[in-house]
Amino acid sequence: MDVPSEYRATKASQKRRPKSQKMGQPPQQMQPQQQPYYNDFDMQNQQQQNYMQHFGQPDMFYGGYNPSFAGASGPEQLAQQYLNDPMANMAMQYGSSLAGQGKDIVNKNLEKVMSSSKVKYYFAVDTAYVGKKLGLLFFPFTHSDWSIRYNQDEPVAPRYEINAPDLYIPCMAFVTYILVAGMVLGTQDRFTPEQLGTQASSALVWLIIELLAFSLSLYVMNLKSGIKYLDIIAYCGYKFVGMTVSLLAGVMSSKTVYYCVLLWFCISLVFFLMRTLRVQIVPQEVDDGHTRGTKRSLYFLLTVSLAQPLLMWWLSSSIMIYRKL
Amino acid sequence: MAVLNPLKSAEHTIMQDTDLAGPLVFCLAFGGSLLLSGKLHFGYIYGIGLVGCLAMYCLLNLMSLNGVSAGIIVSVLGYCLLPMVFLSFSAVLLSLKGVVGLVLVIVTVMWCSVSASKLFVSALAMDSQQLLVAYPCALVYGVFALLTVF
Repeated sequence: MDVPSEYRATKASQKRRPKSQKMGQPPQQMQPQQQPYYNDFDMQNQQQQNYMQHFGQPDMFYGGYNPSFAGASGPEQLAQQYLNDPMANMAMQYGSSLAGQGKDIVNKNLEKVMSSSKVKYYFAVDTAYVGKKLGLLFFPFTHSDWSIRYNQDEPVAPRYEINAPDLYIPCMAFVTYILVAGMVLGTQDRFTPEQLGTQASSALVWLIIELLAFSLSLYVMNLKSGIKYLDIIAYCGYKFVGMTVSLLAGVMSSKTVYYCVLLWFCISLVFFLMRTLRVQIVPQEVDDGHTRGTKRSLYFLLTVSLAQPLLMWWLSSSIMIYRKL
Repeated sequence: MAVLNPLKSAEHTIMQDTDLAGPLVFCLAFGGSLLLSGKLHFGYIYGIGLVGCLAMYCLLNLMSLNGVSAGIIVSVLGYCLLPMVFLSFSAVLLSLKGVVGLVLVIVTVMWCSVSASKLFVSALAMDSQQLLVAYPCALVYGVFALLTVF
């Protein structure tokens, strides 16, 4: 019977229910095995002990306060009991251990989804890289070399390789887009703080839909490529740069300027994405059915690139379109 | 005083002891001056401050080589709120929706974010990333400016 008692003491938080039934059976027999856990095991305080074990961790203070429970009288003793209540101690210990366990579980699961070192790779940028990448997003037509240097099967950090994707620009562009949208709505007298939340959530939802659609289509079309999910998020996030600039241009001058700037950014983003993704998706052509493979990947590329202008127009025109009224 | 002079470089020991009293005073002063111009926005200030601090915490943990603690972030962002308090006091006297107001707002936001990024960069030893850190700070202070103007 040694194993069940130890098991009970360690798995306290998960096994509360069966323990209460087990304790009902032969409490006297449990006595000798529990000596190492309890300082003072009285036959009188059997009930107290049973109840306290439900909390799992045995309280070391318990032994000292046994007599006070047995002979409680007088208001000051009651107050003393209440303050030094081992139940409270045990409850606090239980609560803190539960919190610690919860935090461990969250950390473990988060590590599985997004390991922090992988995400850190996307943020290892510096000012020169960001400047050049923004220039590339504005005007990609003169850039000639789109390949990415690899460092032992891992892309080189964005700091040193301008063609590598990063997550700093998409994150900042997304937040800027939300704020600029709020500002534009403010100049149209349509602004309430809830609008910020609405715009943010709708843009995020479209981003997630894009991510799911592209991952699914990559899987379905059986295109083996080295693109990871975070890369896809990065590429889909680059359109927020164009949307932000076109919104700013539109709010400072007329609507036609907004449409012109939007068109320019659509074209340059399509070009940028096609050039970048062609390097990443199409390298394996030596497999079976190579002509079919390249056609499929070309279609995929076209779909990805053309979906971006559609979403750019959809999300930003809902901000601008009310100016007619 | 490092906050009020954004052009001078700060030494890296300046944020060794983080205190939250100054930032709290500045937040209350900001809320009080907004109250003077008739806007009861205390809840928004706390909410935006919290969200901004959380966002900066995540970003700086991802961007710097060694991590940051939340106390440093809160105290830097809170101390650099001081120019924003000046802006909101001036909003009581003159309306900020004209061109003069726009210029004033832009100058204040840039002042806040440059000094905040200077403190962050010197405290965390991140090279050649000051502008990158200044941009999110500018966004956070821009939201505060939005509260002040509209």
